[in-house]
Amino acid sequence: MVSVEAGGGRAGRRDRAGGAGGATTGPAHRVQPATVVVLALLFAAAVYFLLPVVWVLVAATKSTADLFGTFGLWSPRPQLGANLGRLFGTGDGLFGRWVLNSFLYAGLGALAATLLSAAAGYAMAKYPFRGREALFNLVLAGVLVPSTVLALPTYLIFSQAGLTGSFWSVLLPSVVSPFGVYLARIHAHAAIPDALLESARLDGAGEYRIFFRIGLKIMSPALVTIFLFQFIGVWNNYFLPLVMLSDQRLYPVTLGLALWNSQTFRDPAFFELTVTGAAVSALLLVLTMASLQRFWRAGLTAGSVKG
Amino acid sequence: MGSKISRVARAAAMAAAIGLAAACGGGGQPSAAPASGDPAKPVTLTFWSWVPDIQKAVDQFNASHPGVQVNLETITPGPDGGYAKMLAAVKAGNAPDVAQVGYDSLPSFLVNGALQDVTEYAQDDAAKFVGWQWQTGVFGGKVYAIPQASGPMGFYYRKDLFDKWGIAAPKTWDDFAAAAATIRKKDKNAYISTFAANQAPWLISLAQQAGQQWFSTEGDSWKVTIDNPDTRKMAAFWQKLLDDKVLKTEADLSNAWYKDLQTGGIVGWIGGSWGDAIIRGNAPETSGKWAVAPIPQWPDAPAFTSASWGGGSSSAILKGTKNPAAATEFAVWLNSDPQSVNTLLSAGYGWPSAKDTSKVTNLQKDDTVFPFYGGQNIWDVFQQSDAAVALDWRWPPVSDALYATLTDNAKAAVQGQGTLTDAFAKTQQAMVDQLKAKGLSVVTGG
Amino acid sequence: MAEVLRRAPAGTAAGTARRRPRRPRLHVAVFVAPFFLAFALFYLAPIGYAVHQSFFRLTSSGLGLSEPVLEFAGLGNYATALTSPAFAASVGRVLVFSLIEVPVMVVAALALALLLDSARARFRAFFRVSFFLPYGVPGVIASLLWGFLYVPQTSPLIDVLAAAGLPHDFLSPQTILLSIANIATWQFAGYNMLVLIAGLQAIPQELYEAARVDGASEARIAWHVKVPLVRAPLILITVFTLIGTLQLFVEPLVLKPLTTAITSDYTPNLAAYNQAFGQADIHLASAEATLIAVMAFVISLGFLRLVNGKGNRAW
Repeated sequence: MVSVEAGGGRAGRRDRAGGAGGATTGPAHRVQPATVVVLALLFAAAVYFLLPVVWVLVAATKSTADLFGTFGLWSPRPQLGANLGRLFGTGDGLFGRWVLNSFLYAGLGALAATLLSAAAGYAMAKYPFRGREALFNLVLAGVLVPSTVLALPTYLIFSQAGLTGSFWSVLLPSVVSPFGVYLARIHAHAAIPDALLESARLDGAGEYRIFFRIGLKIMSPALVTIFLFQFIGVWNNYFLPLVMLSDQRLYPVTLGLALWNSQTFRDPAFFELTVTGAAVSALLLVLTMASLQRFWRAGLTAGSVKG
Repeated sequence: MGSKISRVARAAAMAAAIGLAAACGGGGQPSAAPASGDPAKPVTLTFWSWVPDIQKAVDQFNASHPGVQVNLETITPGPDGGYAKMLAAVKAGNAPDVAQVGYDSLPSFLVNGALQDVTEYAQDDAAKFVGWQWQTGVFGGKVYAIPQASGPMGFYYRKDLFDKWGIAAPKTWDDFAAAAATIRKKDKNAYISTFAANQAPWLISLAQQAGQQWFSTEGDSWKVTIDNPDTRKMAAFWQKLLDDKVLKTEADLSNAWYKDLQTGGIVGWIGGSWGDAIIRGNAPETSGKWAVAPIPQWPDAPAFTSASWGGGSSSAILKGTKNPAAATEFAVWLNSDPQSVNTLLSAGYGWPSAKDTSKVTNLQKDDTVFPFYGGQNIWDVFQQSDAAVALDWRWPPVSDALYATLTDNAKAAVQGQGTLTDAFAKTQQAMVDQLKAKGLSVVTGG
Repeated sequence: MAEVLRRAPAGTAAGTARRRPRRPRLHVAVFVAPFFLAFALFYLAPIGYAVHQSFFRLTSSGLGLSEPVLEFAGLGNYATALTSPAFAASVGRVLVFSLIEVPVMVVAALALALLLDSARARFRAFFRVSFFLPYGVPGVIASLLWGFLYVPQTSPLIDVLAAAGLPHDFLSPQTILLSIANIATWQFAGYNMLVLIAGLQAIPQELYEAARVDGASEARIAWHVKVPLVRAPLILITVFTLIGTLQLFVEPLVLKPLTTAITSDYTPNLAAYNQAFGQADIHLASAEATLIAVMAFVISLGFLRLVNGKGNRAW
């Protein structure tokens, strides 16, 4: 991962410089009609995807009464400060803990999942071995069983090991990403030339060194994608923490928000907490994604330079 | 009139409860082990609940009971996964000692072998609780759970609008139907209420109030009588209102419904006692304009009859506890100590199961609640209502399937596929099949 | 599926098999073992346990006051599921849903990926995050969110449609499946787009340069160069969308409280969830989940046979 980040800084700068040059303020050449069409389509799509998100942000500034009583995209009596105060104040700062937990579960889980998937996918792309395809098919078949029903069996197995209720009970299952293995294998196969590995071997590099120095670097766009998918997958995971955890202080933010949402039934003031909490957690997720973009871009250029 | 009847009902409840306790053999002598334990080596209990602010009551218990220390863990509500978690925990052998379980779910917990018989520790406590509520935790004469709170029904309505339109609060269901029609004439945007086909506990409580019960036991068999004359009468009544288009059909407790409460699109709601917080919280601008009337009555009812929304909720002692005595002591204290009851009440958890509420200060005077209802002491209405809940209502061990099936069938009826009467008949058949599929013995009636 | 998927990383086996590694391949085990150990523990074990459970049932007798008995049920739970008209109806429903949703999703994801990958695109970072963002909105919030946008009393959308002379009821039995498809597209199109973009980036830039030098337009490059080269990821997202639609669950669960058109066994997965979490019947739930998996397996296998049977065996 270190190599990815190192590459990230470098290419990130390059990207920003390039972006400034190529955007609307760009140099003398005039904007072509095809560009306008592409941009118009992209903007229309962005409106479709963002409008509901804007709704959440607006809703976060409302009281419960206004939430149901006023137009969805306008807040006549904004009270964001009060909502935020209550959000972080309720239950001795429970919300802050939940967010921190989510970052730990998602961050550590996705990091481990990325590394495990990269190693397995790389090995499956670059080394033929007996049973390889059978294993690979098993991985793909793993996604056929709906995970909603698997939470309870997982709980029963974990309680044999005395792991239920702990931080580990949510973190450990999060390190598996069958999809990550698939993506890593496809990407390693397409993007890492065998000749490059061969020449590294001729230079005397060991297989581990080759993987960490060359493999990971070239695969970095796929790795960032795997990390992103797994991060969000774990962030949004609901049923596993639901059955595993009993201590509120270990809850991730989705489970905490679901708990609050269920309490709106008895105390409608929880609507404000739920919606504001959702907006804050969505914003944090956006910031995380945006910061990952840089590494993502970096990997792209790093990969193409090598290729 | 109400108080007299409520005394009668209470006496009956009491007699039934005592009868049940006495009927259970073997547990006659008091338990040898003192429940309160040794303060030097306190017993530690785990308690699972999702009630907001119940921690305060737990703290009060811990402070006054040095020999027993309770550790509260907040979980998601039962229907949202909490029950599945509890049953899995019992299966895995790491269940909490005490858990929040709805009255409607106690039988399925029992059938899953997840409840602990605590008759020997709890039999003397029956008198502390309202009869029908106590009975929900008693099966075959054995005590498994201590009742916490119920949701007795009342009719919330916009008194200002009813007055303006010259309509009195409906005393009977005929009055209700007439008012529904009048409201449509007075204001084209207003409806007396919604028909909440999505809300099985609500539909069930309407049936419960109509008279004949749905589930009972006959010897060693469950008797299923959902498709009975009283329920058919109730179904036909609502079907007529639907046919006349004098009801909304949107889901209650939903966005649309909250908005309609604010705007006067819906001017009434047959709801549980805890519903007051929902109306106050979602439609604060309508403060002072609401009132609560007793639930409308059927003409053939022998006395004032009410019902409870989805029953209520209990503190159940789960199988696997190492300290059933201490667990029972905690559950009884939590739900009958006036200080604790007051705390639970202000957390909005519903109508107390404790019989003596004279020391529950929030019930006497409530400056946040009463002004919203123009100064009316709405708790009087619910006190009367809770005392008039049928004693012999039994939940089946498949209540979740009952909810799902009933909602599905009622939704279909509202969509125009068959009638509500058909919906209850179909539900009857499905429940018989469900019980049989579990290997239980079933007889039917009507 | 095994036979078809074996061709997935086509060429790899042929390409490297000729060169035999020089040393005992301990490193291969070191690379592969950590993932498979975790996979076996956290995926295979629960699946195996669930399948095992699906052959048992808990039965009570009389009133059910005594402890229930766990007994071997053979295929009894499977028979119960398969003979239930509601379960059969739910299977039919997701099949119809797949027919609608899969083409919509694949076309939308491909269009977004190609637009973003086009040399004409600007503000790529902004658009990429925007499209992907809905994937990060948790289910609880999606419920509230679409509740507001689909319910007439609160929806600005319905107001706009009505003003344009297009009155629409999102929650009626006739339209609900399309409303669900809209939420699914909204949530996952960005995700699938990213898979395609990752595929596009594995393509060496020189290929485009060559085409540009030859004077090909961006649209031609997209259609004739890029699309064939992302055939494998396209098939992948098709299969994944197919499996996802057959497992349809979150969207109906989220919309269920808002409409009378969604029942508790609206989709097979929702039915299994209700058995497991509502009715505490892990045995029937496991049987239903296994049936869903088998159905997904057969259908995705059929699809792969179909696409791989058309001469081009690149995947």
